[in-house]
Amino acid sequence: MNDAQTITVEVIGVEQVTPLIKHFKLAPAAGGSLPVFSGGSHIIVVMQGAGRVHKNPYSLLGSPLALDTYEIGVRRMEESRGGSHFMHDAVEVGSRLEIAHPVNLFGLDKIARKHVLIAGGIGITPFLAQLEDLHGGSVPYELHYSVRSSEHAAFLQRLQRREGERLHVYYDSEGQTIAFETLLATQPLGTHVYVCGPVGMIKHVIATAQSCGWPDSHIHWEQFSAPPVGDAFEVFLARSKLSVHVPPDQSLLESIEAAGVEVPYLCRGGVCGFCHTRVLELDGELVHNDHFLSEADKAKAKSIMPCVSRANCKRLVLDL
Amino acid sequence: MSAVFKPEETFRGDFNYSNSPQAVRRFPLPFAEDNYMYSVNIEPHLPGPLGSVTEFAFDVDEHYVAECRERAIVLATEPLRYQAMPHMMSSQWDCLELIMESLAHDYPAHFSLAKQGNRWHWINRPLEIDQHFTFGDTATLPREPLDYITRQAQGDFVVMDQREGDLWCEAGMVTTQADWSLDFDLGMTFKEWHGPVPLAHELQVFDRALKFLLNLRLGQPVRRLNWTMTINPRLDTSPENYPQWGTDRAAVTAQNAGDLVHLRVELQGLWRLPRSNAVVFGIRCYLISLRQLATVPKWARRVHRVLKDLHPALVDYKGLTRYRDAAVQWLAPFDDGSPTTSGTAPE
Amino acid sequence: MLITGIKSKPVYAPLQTDTRGRYHLMLAMGAGAAPLLRVIAEMRVVAGPSLKNTRVLFVSDAAAPEVEQFKAATVADLQTFPSTPALLERFRAILQKSLMGTRLYVAGPESFIGLAMKIALEFNLNKDEIRAEECGTLARRVYCIHCRATTEDVRTNIVSCIGCGRWLLVRDHYSRRLAAYMGVMVDAEAPGELPPLKEVFL
Ligand code: HEM
Ligand code: FES
Repeated sequence: MNDAQTITVEVIGVEQVTPLIKHFKLAPAAGGSLPVFSGGSHIIVVMQGAGRVHKNPYSLLGSPLALDTYEIGVRRMEESRGGSHFMHDAVEVGSRLEIAHPVNLFGLDKIARKHVLIAGGIGITPFLAQLEDLHGGSVPYELHYSVRSSEHAAFLQRLQRREGERLHVYYDSEGQTIAFETLLATQPLGTHVYVCGPVGMIKHVIATAQSCGWPDSHIHWEQFSAPPVGDAFEVFLARSKLSVHVPPDQSLLESIEAAGVEVPYLCRGGVCGFCHTRVLELDGELVHNDHFLSEADKAKAKSIMPCVSRANCKRLVLDL
Repeated sequence: MSAVFKPEETFRGDFNYSNSPQAVRRFPLPFAEDNYMYSVNIEPHLPGPLGSVTEFAFDVDEHYVAECRERAIVLATEPLRYQAMPHMMSSQWDCLELIMESLAHDYPAHFSLAKQGNRWHWINRPLEIDQHFTFGDTATLPREPLDYITRQAQGDFVVMDQREGDLWCEAGMVTTQADWSLDFDLGMTFKEWHGPVPLAHELQVFDRALKFLLNLRLGQPVRRLNWTMTINPRLDTSPENYPQWGTDRAAVTAQNAGDLVHLRVELQGLWRLPRSNAVVFGIRCYLISLRQLATVPKWARRVHRVLKDLHPALVDYKGLTRYRDAAVQWLAPFDDGSPTTSGTAPE
Repeated sequence: MLITGIKSKPVYAPLQTDTRGRYHLMLAMGAGAAPLLRVIAEMRVVAGPSLKNTRVLFVSDAAAPEVEQFKAATVADLQTFPSTPALLERFRAILQKSLMGTRLYVAGPESFIGLAMKIALEFNLNKDEIRAEECGTLARRVYCIHCRATTEDVRTNIVSCIGCGRWLLVRDHYSRRLAAYMGVMVDAEAPGELPPLKEVFL
C-alpha cells in the first residue's frame, strides 16, 4: 500500500458490543465520503504499533451505500499477529488509522436462486453488509447465527429488527446448535451457502454440505488472502545494500517496505506479477505461495513474489 | 485536450471522417517495437501526459458528437446491440456513476453532475441533455442506466460479473466493435468469449490475464492497447453487419490502400466496480488512415515492418488476408530501412 | 477468422458416476441410453440393488429395447417421451422441485445436450453439477449472427439460413446460452464465391 492508495480515517465511535468484540466507526479524516463497496468486502487497516506496523483485514459491516462512515467489528484474538490487541487497547475515539480501498473476496453469487448465510460469533460481520443488499431484492435468503450466549450476540438487535423470521439465532449456552444436516439437505436447487466463523465451524459446514451432495461452486467461505506466516529469515537487498529481517508474522514485502524500499505491487495476493523480484543468491529453498510463476520458474528459484512468498534459508539476496 | 467537435462526421455512407493534426499526434500507436505478438500487456490506468489519450479516465475527443450519433443510428435498427442480464442492474448504476463522475470532473466545460443525496442532475452540453433523476431508481431515467450513459460515451462497454473464479460477460453496449458479437458472447466466461483468438491461449495470455483481473482492485484501474485494421473509417464492423462491409476488403489495391485502410486501435480500460464487484471493460476505438499515419515517418516505417512480418495466424484472425499485401506495398516507399527508436512517440 | 479450434467449443468426456451427488437425474436420447446404462451399473456397485434416488428421462418410444434394459437395471423411475421438447418440459418441472445435491447426467447428440444445459443454466446448475457425454449425430444448431434465426440439424460446413437464406459458414464458436454454434455469411467478401458443400457434422 503506498500513500496514494490509502485513506486516512478518524475513529468517531467505539463500542464494546460483547465482552470480546468492539465495534468501530471510521470517518474520512479529510472530510468528504468513503468509497462505495459491495457486501462481503473487507478493508486492510494499517496500524502504527509500537515498533512495527500491523496490517489486518476486517469486514465492512455497515450499509454499502452509507458513504460517510465505515463500520468494522474487531474481536480480540488470543494468538493474534497483534493487530486486534492494538485495536482493542490503543485505538479510541479520535485515533487516526490508514485503510486501503475495500476488496471483496466473499461476494454473494448474483445468479443464486436462494442464499443460506451461516455465521458463528464475529463471523456475522461480512453478512451485515450483504444483508443490506439482499434486503430489497427478490431472491429468498435466511441467516443462521450461532453465538456463545446472549451477551456474546453482537449486533443482534439490529438483525432482529430488520430480518424478522429470516433470522435464526442459536445459543451455545442453552445447548442450541444449528442442525446443519437438516438445513443443507433440504435446500432447493440453485441455493448457495456462505459461512463465516471459527475454522471448525467453516470446516464442518463445508463437510456437511459436501456430504449432502453440494458441489463446491455453491459453497462459500470467507478467506482472507493474507500472506502465510512462516519461519523468520534474513534477506539482503543488493541494490539498496540493506539487510532486512523478516519475522514469522510479517511478509517479505511488508518487511522490505518497512525498511524503506519500495516494491511495485498491485494485488498483494500473488497473482498480478507486479512484485516479481530477481533472486541473486540463495543457500536454502524458496517457499513459493503465489499463483503467478510457472512450476518451472518456481523450481529454478531465480525469482520470487515477495507479497506472499518466503524462504527457508540462511542467506537470500534480492535484486532490489 | 479541449477538442473542437466535428458533428458532421460520418462512419458510414460517405465516410466523412479524418483526424485533425492534433488528433494524429496523440494517436495511440500500439507498437513499441517493429514487431508484434500477443502478450499480457496490462498496465495501471494512471493519468498520462497533458493532451494524451490517457490524460483522463475516459478520453473525449473531436469525434465525440459524431460517434454518439453513430451509436444511435446502430441502435435504432438493432436494439440488441445493447443487452444486460437482470442480475447486472447494480453494475449498471456503478457504470453510470463512474462515467458521469469522470466526465464531469475531467471536462467541466462539457459535462456537469450535481448531487443532492440520491437526486442527481446531469448535464451533457455537447449532446444538449439535461437530466434530473434518482440514483438507483431506473424509472427516473429514459432507459436502463448502462444504455443511457453509454449512448453518451465513445467506445464500447462490456460488464462482467465475477463468480466461480471467472468473469462472465453479462451486460454491454457494443456498436463499434472489431468483428465480435455481444449478442452471441453474452453469458460466456473469459476463455469462452476469447475462444476465437489464435495462439494467445497457448501463450497462456488468457490464464494470466484472468488471474490478474479477478484481483483487480477498486480505485486501481488498468489498461491495455489492442489493434486491428478496418477498411474505411467504419466503426460498426460487427459480425451482424458483415454482409454490408465484407466486400470493402476486396476493394483494396496498392494504389488506394492509403485512403481505404485504417489502423484501428482500441484503448481498453478495466475498472472494478464498487456496488456490484463487477468489472467494466471499456473499448475506446481510434481510427487513422494509412495516409494520415504516414505523416509521422517513424510510424510509417514501424507499421510497414509490423504488417510485413505479422504472424500468419494473426493476419487471418484480424481479417487482413485479402489486403495485407496491398497495405504493405503502399507503405513500402515510406520505409528506407533506417532504425526506429523504441517507444511509440513520434521522433 | 478462426473457424475450427475455438476454445468455446464444448469438450465432453465419457460419463462417470459423481459419487458426491445425492440425487441423480439422467437424460438420454437415442444412443445416449448406453452411457447411462453403464453409469447405472457403476452406481449399483456402490448403492446396491435399489437406485431410489435415480431418475431417467428418455426420448424413445416405449417399446424400444433400451426401455427393457433400464427396467432390468432396476431404475425405479423411468419415463419415456416421444420428443425432445416433451422431455425438456418434464425436465424443467422436475428441476423446479429438485434439491441441492442433485447431479445431472445427459447423454445424446450435442444439440440435445445443449438444450438440456440451457435449461439447467436457468436453475443455476454449475459445471460441477452437470456431466455430459456426446453420442449420436454431430449435427449442429446454428445461430445466424445476421438475422438471429437458429437453423437446426446442420450437417454441412455451410448452410442456407432458415431465417434469411444467406449461406452461413459454421464456426466452432459455441454459446451455451443459445445452445448453438455461430453462423457467419460465407461469401460476404466475395458474393457468390461459395466453398464446396461438404457433409462434416455426421
Ligand atoms: C475482461 C475484459 C475483456 C473483454 C470483455 C474482452 C473481450 C474480447 C473480445 C470480445 C475479443 C474478440 C474475440 C473474438 O474474436 O470473437 C477479444 C480479443 C482479444 N482479447 Fe480480450 N477482452 C478482455 C480482456 C482482455 C485482456 C485483459 C487481455 C489481455 C491480454 C485480452 C486479450 C485479447 C487478445 C490478445 C485478443 C485478440 C485481439 C486481436 O488480435 O484483434 N483481452 N477480447
Ligand atoms: S503484488 Fe501481485 S503478485 Fe505480488
